Amino acid sequence: MDITFNIGGEAGQGIDTIGDLLTQVFVQSGFYTFTIKDFMSRIRGGYNFSQIRVSDSPIHAPIDDIDLIVALSHDAIVGKRNQLVDGGVIIFDDTIKTEEIDACHYPAPLQKTATEVGGNIRMMNAAALGAVLAVTSFPFNLAETALNEIFLRKGRKVVDANVEVAKALYNLTKENWIGTCAHDMSTVKMGPCKDRLILTGNRAIALGAMAANLKWISSYPMSPSTACFQDIVSNAQRLKIGSLQTEDEIASLATAIGASFAGARSMVTTSGGGFSLMVEGLGLAAMTETPIVIYNAQRPGPSTGLPTRTEQGDLLFMLTASQGEFPRIMLAPKDPIEAFDVATRAFNLADKFQVPVMILGDQYFSDSVKNVPRIDAGKVEIDRGKRASTMASEPYERFKLTEDGVSPIAFPGDQGKFVVASGNVHLENGHITEDPDIRNSMVEKFMRKIPQILKTLNPPQVFGGRGAETTLLTWGSTWGAAYEAVKVLADKGVSINLLHFCDLFPLKTHILTEVFSEAKGVVAVEQNATSQFAKLVLMETGLTVDKRVNKYDGRPMTPRFIMDRLKEGGIS
Amino acid sequence: MITKEQLEGPQKITWCTGCGNFGILASLKNAVGELGVPQNQFVIVSGIGCGSKIPHYINLNAIHTLHGRAIAVAQGIHLANLDLQVLVHVGDGDTLGEGLGHLMHAARRNVNLSVFIHNNGVMGLTKGQFSPSAPRGYVSSTSPPEAGAPMNPVNVVAYALTAGATFVARGFSGDQKGLVALMRKAMKHKGFALVDILQPCQTWNRQLNWKFYNEHTYSLQENGHDINSRIAAIEKAFSNGDKIPTGVFYEEKAPTLAESLALPPDGRLRDHQTDIKAVQAIIDELIL
Repeated sequence: MDITFNIGGEAGQGIDTIGDLLTQVFVQSGFYTFTIKDFMSRIRGGYNFSQIRVSDSPIHAPIDDIDLIVALSHDAIVGKRNQLVDGGVIIFDDTIKTEEIDACHYPAPLQKTATEVGGNIRMMNAAALGAVLAVTSFPFNLAETALNEIFLRKGRKVVDANVEVAKALYNLTKENWIGTCAHDMSTVKMGPCKDRLILTGNRAIALGAMAANLKWISSYPMSPSTACFQDIVSNAQRLKIGSLQTEDEIASLATAIGASFAGARSMVTTSGGGFSLMVEGLGLAAMTETPIVIYNAQRPGPSTGLPTRTEQGDLLFMLTASQGEFPRIMLAPKDPIEAFDVATRAFNLADKFQVPVMILGDQYFSDSVKNVPRIDAGKVEIDRGKRASTMASEPYERFKLTEDGVSPIAFPGDQGKFVVASGNVHLENGHITEDPDIRNSMVEKFMRKIPQILKTLNPPQVFGGRGAETTLLTWGSTWGAAYEAVKVLADKGVSINLLHFCDLFPLKTHILTEVFSEAKGVVAVEQNATSQFAKLVLMETGLTVDKRVNKYDGRPMTPRFIMDRLKEGGIS
Repeated sequence: MITKEQLEGPQKITWCTGCGNFGILASLKNAVGELGVPQNQFVIVSGIGCGSKIPHYINLNAIHTLHGRAIAVAQGIHLANLDLQVLVHVGDGDTLGEGLGHLMHAARRNVNLSVFIHNNGVMGLTKGQFSPSAPRGYVSSTSPPEAGAPMNPVNVVAYALTAGATFVARGFSGDQKGLVALMRKAMKHKGFALVDILQPCQTWNRQLNWKFYNEHTYSLQENGHDINSRIAAIEKAFSNGDKIPTGVFYEEKAPTLAESLALPPDGRLRDHQTDIKAVQAIIDELIL
């Protein structure tokens, strides 16, 4: 079973609510789900959709084929019609005026039933659910059990009302609708999936940060990162996390650097435009060796670009942002479950090496929803790195030259110590200098950290076994579509594997060079126009990729998209 | 009491002979020494410019930051550990230019900082270009020829008052006794305290020199000013003509930013451990 539902309509019509309910019902019924959110940068109107893919085996990306559309506006009836499979059905609210439409599609009284049976137009989500279940012949009792679980927290009355509305439309559809759907799920039983934690990338980053003892966040709202900031702020009182929406991104990073300098684990969330403003702060964090975590949920640029869409276009910018040279760490989680781990590691790495750590998400990663196994926060290890001894007899030196380049850290207020830092080149004690020998020592101190960092970072992962003829090269969120494409092609007998990077920089080259030498052809698959990661690989290793797959329309990569490009290149 | 010896600066002072910064440093040492706060609880946060080198000339915790961003860094330090006494030393070129937005917003947040502006009307360290507080018509290497600085100066006292600062004063580097008293008041104040410090740049500013300030300043407190009236304070702030008022313009008790944030009871985020069980509960609440 692999079925995709597209819920479309105007902003403000409750598309998300319908999508969320469908996701919940399928997750509760034991299925794997993967949901993408496609919305315009406006509060009301337009054409937005939520697209839910449901399967009885694990799934990791959206696909192009749509089996069923629920349309709440005329635009939604026509918007995705070209992706509808043969036998696909469009369920649309019967109040929408539309041109002649094939009889197989279904004008359903969604609003009417919500109002008349549920007493509230907001019950339209339950009405839509009823129609979807009926059209696909999904067993109603299975959905009813799921609804019970989902709404039980809200009380018996809410459960009953939702079941009643869903059932009303379910029965009405069974009586009135004359079409047939490509999918008949009447024999479906409880699915095999036990993963009941529903997460977006943004939320996973927030949870990871909170589990990692984040104590300070200052940010400025910017799509698509804002939900991460909001998640943390909404739990700030419960967990005692200082949070501030600052006047701009310059202040957000500067304030976070201050909080970290004073000893609190700190982060900022932003998108590329906000990160542009943070660049001087990045340099200050680097020069003062103040640990900081920066989460950039990328969107297509330059400038305002496409505010609510996706791209992996900031990699090389973040790699070289700021004047001067210094160690930095860049991580790009592939999905929500890895994002939790990446967020917790980011704070440990920042503290351990006293460098800026940057997490690269993107709108697709940030907003898409996956059901994942329960996360055990108790397993999170916290490593605050080298602390200065409280017993020291010598005057404290914040930038003491050490073998590994990392100086024991102390915070203002610590007994018997004065902590001095400067954005200027400084002596070991933090006071400024222009001495060329000290300058050399301090640069070399920076550089000594890099091999230590490399030892700590995770190597890339190879999916599909070593020694394939074709290797796809991906980083971050493009993993899902590439992974599925590799699976499909390998099943067809194509010799293909996937080399995937989460820990991007400093670049671990060992497995990379091996896989490059094993493959006849390496194909870089990136959600950008210029294959930025392939350039990074070239820069660090001299190795070049043979082909590139690029997508830069702001919409997420799909397995089909990759396979079509590969086919054009003779790989199929 | 912290002694002068304990505060002795780690580095040799690089300011020009006759620089107004000397008076500010001497006053600062006095104010810090007598405040009754342990020496290791002070943090100086500075920007970029001659005055912002002050952390290297006094023995305290310090971070010498970026041009214009010192206030933003300082508020983070303060909020991570409310025990700290956070002092911001910045110049007019720095905080009244790139940093003006941060100043206004920190003022309206009433974040508990003492901001000391070393205000000399020129960009000293970059060799004398007109600063945001240079008088209209001030001639420098970057002002349009003939006309001089083609705009009115930033009136920082007025700006701070309208932004909502809860302690606003003006001192003069040549009146150390007065300046020490203002600094001490600013440090004791709970909330955003700003002291605009008139400070001649002997090398670059031929207009705003010692003689000028000695002849043109007068004390608000000796002339019956009501420090509890924001409106009266704003009026005084705009009476910046032939006579420049010094002293306290305004003082008010108001809730500080820290009181509204989710800080631990001891005010020390830096040592606080998140209850991992609470995080697990947040995760588990998301499970269907």
